[in-house]
Amino acid sequence: MRPILLAGHERALTQIKFNSDGDLLFSVSKDKIVCAWWSANGERLGTYNGHQGAIWTVDVSPNTVLLATGSADNTVRLWNVKTGECVKVWDFPTAVKRVEFSPDGSRLLAVTEKRMGFLGTIAVLDISYGENLENQADEPSLRITCTESKATVAGWSYMGKYIIAGHEDGSVSQYDEKTGEQLENVQVHEFDHQINDIQFSQDRTHFITASKDKSAKLMSTRNLAILKTYPADTPLNSATITPKKDYVILGGGQAAMDVTTTSARQGKFEARFYHKVFEDEIGRVRGHFGPLNTVDVHPAGTAYASGGEDGYVRVHHFDKPYFDFMYEVEREQLRK
Amino acid sequence: MSKLGNRADWADDEEFDDPSALPAQQITTNKDGTKTVVSYRFNDEGKKVKVTRRIKTTVVREHVNPQVAERRSWAKFGLEKGHAPGPSFDTTSVGENIVFRPSINWKIQAQEEEKNPEKGSMKDQLKDKKVKCRICSGEHFTARCPFKDTMAPVDEPAGGAGGLEGGAEDAPAAGGLGATSGSYVPPHLRKGAAGGGERMAGKFEKDDLATLRVTNVSELAEEGELRDLFERFGRVTRVFLARDRETQRAKGFAFISFADRSDAARACEKMDGFGYRHLILRVEFAKRAT
Repeated sequence: MRPILLAGHERALTQIKFNSDGDLLFSVSKDKIVCAWWSANGERLGTYNGHQGAIWTVDVSPNTVLLATGSADNTVRLWNVKTGECVKVWDFPTAVKRVEFSPDGSRLLAVTEKRMGFLGTIAVLDISYGENLENQADEPSLRITCTESKATVAGWSYMGKYIIAGHEDGSVSQYDEKTGEQLENVQVHEFDHQINDIQFSQDRTHFITASKDKSAKLMSTRNLAILKTYPADTPLNSATITPKKDYVILGGGQAAMDVTTTSARQGKFEARFYHKVFEDEIGRVRGHFGPLNTVDVHPAGTAYASGGEDGYVRVHHFDKPYFDFMYEVEREQLRK
Repeated sequence: MSKLGNRADWADDEEFDDPSALPAQQITTNKDGTKTVVSYRFNDEGKKVKVTRRIKTTVVREHVNPQVAERRSWAKFGLEKGHAPGPSFDTTSVGENIVFRPSINWKIQAQEEEKNPEKGSMKDQLKDKKVKCRICSGEHFTARCPFKDTMAPVDEPAGGAGGLEGGAEDAPAAGGLGATSGSYVPPHLRKGAAGGGERMAGKFEKDDLATLRVTNVSELAEEGELRDLFERFGRVTRVFLARDRETQRAKGFAFISFADRSDAARACEKMDGFGYRHLILRVEFAKRAT
């Protein structure tokens, strides 16, 4: 496979996201610009300009009408995907580290940083898709405050029933989406090893966490049971579950501050592929010059993209061997 | 491609107002559904060039979500505003091809791949390395040296290879000599003067261990052929085919030296009685030269 290199950013990538049809790819980086790309050929559709600080997170509504971004300038901005105009700005007391639309697109959660005396919170904003997109609620409909350890990442469960959050101390918690009450909290990763990413399967019944403790875990959304563990040899920044084939893709590498003291090969700047069920590592894809900060997979499972500390996004369209690979038991099953 | 075909060639556009007008582009439809486009243009040297292209048009119908189709018509915005459709070179490029084959034992495969380039480099190193004869410092293997039987290795440390071979026999004597350092040492045993005669004997002794004498060899035999015959059993260090001085015909016997005695033994066993050029070879271990 020939990766498509997207060089639209001048600084480290922070998050990339395919839309629900997989034809568009959105990328945000620390250089204050949001880029939209056609995933098929790497053509840039446009940029969304307006943020005043590093952008930490991006998400696109399921109908690809609105785009939400969270930034270190303490705002969440809502953009019209088609025109690139900013339709709404919400101000927060601290930086926003993660935004995510609910599966039906009617709500948006925003994870805010713990800083300057403010505790980390998860705010839920109601989103409307009327004729006038600027017509949005000003105040969050729900605010969850994380008193113990701040939330670093969060996402919605199936049907938006729960909010799942990963914490700085390596624990994962489950909140009720209506009351904001914490239903469960499980210490899944080593204590004090931050969870850097949570990504859900397509049906949102399970999700994968990527942690600084060099492992990724597949967990059940309903009861936060650990289903699978994928050990790696490097701190992980991102993990995703591939549809169509039962794989997971992990991205990581030496922390950015240690990079200059390690060679590219030792730095382990590779995307790692594991089999989702058998937990075996089945291959790696190299190419980045820095740690992988974010990986995302095409919703049809035909491509994946990775964004690195080196400022590049690499879009890989899988070719035949990827789809052909099967375990002996799987082949056996197919024959029956 | 099809678009280009229907449109006038870019080169035609330039020459459009040229009085020495080019013939118009001709498009003919072939029976098999392809089109033949004949166009004319001037090349860099000002010569008229006829370009004939056969174009097959295939319609690839892709079913996409209407929303996706609608999005394809979106105009560019932001920093890309006003840019021509298609990926621009300053933001988008295609990387090197990556071979990605998922496999359970990919680690072992990757290790092997990593080793292979090293192997290759070793080969390259050897390629550049010049062969140097230990006897005359010429550019050939020591075993092929023309002075092999007449000269000792140039800079071989005293008591080197030859000394070691003779070591078993000479050990008591040498030990005795070493102990009584003040006493008389005969010249051929002195350091730095490994005696010619002695050494020669030693050398032959070594060779004899792995040298085969082949008799009943055809008159028309060639050294190369013999080498080929015996090389199947191991590395052959020397092939000597006795020839008549006048006629240059083979005298009927040859010596084959192997690097390894076990190879020689195997060759002796297998090649004895082998039919070569209508004669049956007789192979035996060479007897010590007296």
